[in-house]
Amino acid sequence: MKIIAIIPAFNEESRIAAAVRDASSFVDGVVVVDDCSRDNTANAARMAGALVLRHAINRGQGAALQTATEFALRRLGAEIVVHFDADGQMQGSDIPAMVEPIRSGAADVVLGSRFLGKAVDMPASRRIVNRLAQWFTVAISGIRLTDTHCGFRALSRRAAQEMTITLDRMAHASQIQDLVVVKKLRYVERPVTIVYSAETLAKSESSMRAFGIVKDILKDKFFTRV
Amino acid sequence: MIFQIILVAFALFAVTRTVKQFRAQKVSLHWFLLWNGLWAVVIGVTLWPTSADFVAHLVGIGRGADLALYVTAVALSYSVFRLFVRQEETQREITKLVRKMAIADAEEPK
Repeated sequence: MKIIAIIPAFNEESRIAAAVRDASSFVDGVVVVDDCSRDNTANAARMAGALVLRHAINRGQGAALQTATEFALRRLGAEIVVHFDADGQMQGSDIPAMVEPIRSGAADVVLGSRFLGKAVDMPASRRIVNRLAQWFTVAISGIRLTDTHCGFRALSRRAAQEMTITLDRMAHASQIQDLVVVKKLRYVERPVTIVYSAETLAKSESSMRAFGIVKDILKDKFFTRV
Repeated sequence: MIFQIILVAFALFAVTRTVKQFRAQKVSLHWFLLWNGLWAVVIGVTLWPTSADFVAHLVGIGRGADLALYVTAVALSYSVFRLFVRQEETQREITKLVRKMAIADAEEPK
């Protein structure tokens, strides 16, 4: 089965190449969406062997994932799409185990879980916020997961086609879980290892962003027609 | 008293603007009558505040001024809500456009 890893990237010049190479060994192709970075992310990714798409305006991680998904499905004929991170927190070696349930036909969606696996040096504040997010997700989507905001996922072609991410920013993670329920897709969780480093923590958004996510989700549920 | 003068002056200003636009044939007669009618009501209610009480009583509100306030609050909330939805839709349209461009400009896969 043709496996395509998709990586949204924003100002990841220093880390993207390693992430692309890491993922490349376990997939048939890597698509990077450069979300209008101000640095040399696109070139670094291209040199590492990725197919690079570029957003002319920064639209957020959710939007970049959707762009990469559409490209992978339509132009590359992807049969499995793997969501991967640009910053090197995820391990490419987890990919085979992530796609296995789709290969065997046991699931349409495989969600990575840091808590089934290992979260190396994850700050306590992150753990608390994640626990709150877990409750929020149960309340909103009615789906009980051990890890609600791990970006590591694998989707079958059918699942990728059926789920359209419209929440452009960080709330897309909640939307994906929501869509799994709405579209009645079969899902499983698989353990993954996420390594936190001072560098990635400094760059990634603070836990306070969780409030923004909640706002986006509520807005989507109650205020939007499209 | 001062409040009444300011409000009437503003209403008259709005009326003169409309008259100007109507003369320049920028607005239709329909709009001209509707808009000026509205401001005429504003002037009337401002000069004789008790006149609105009659309407207020009809819908079970004590004073005309209260009625005006309630109607304004509801109208404003609704327009904010509309703007909110429009804004969200515009954002999504922009994303779609950016996505389309990104895919169209992508290098050909080997």
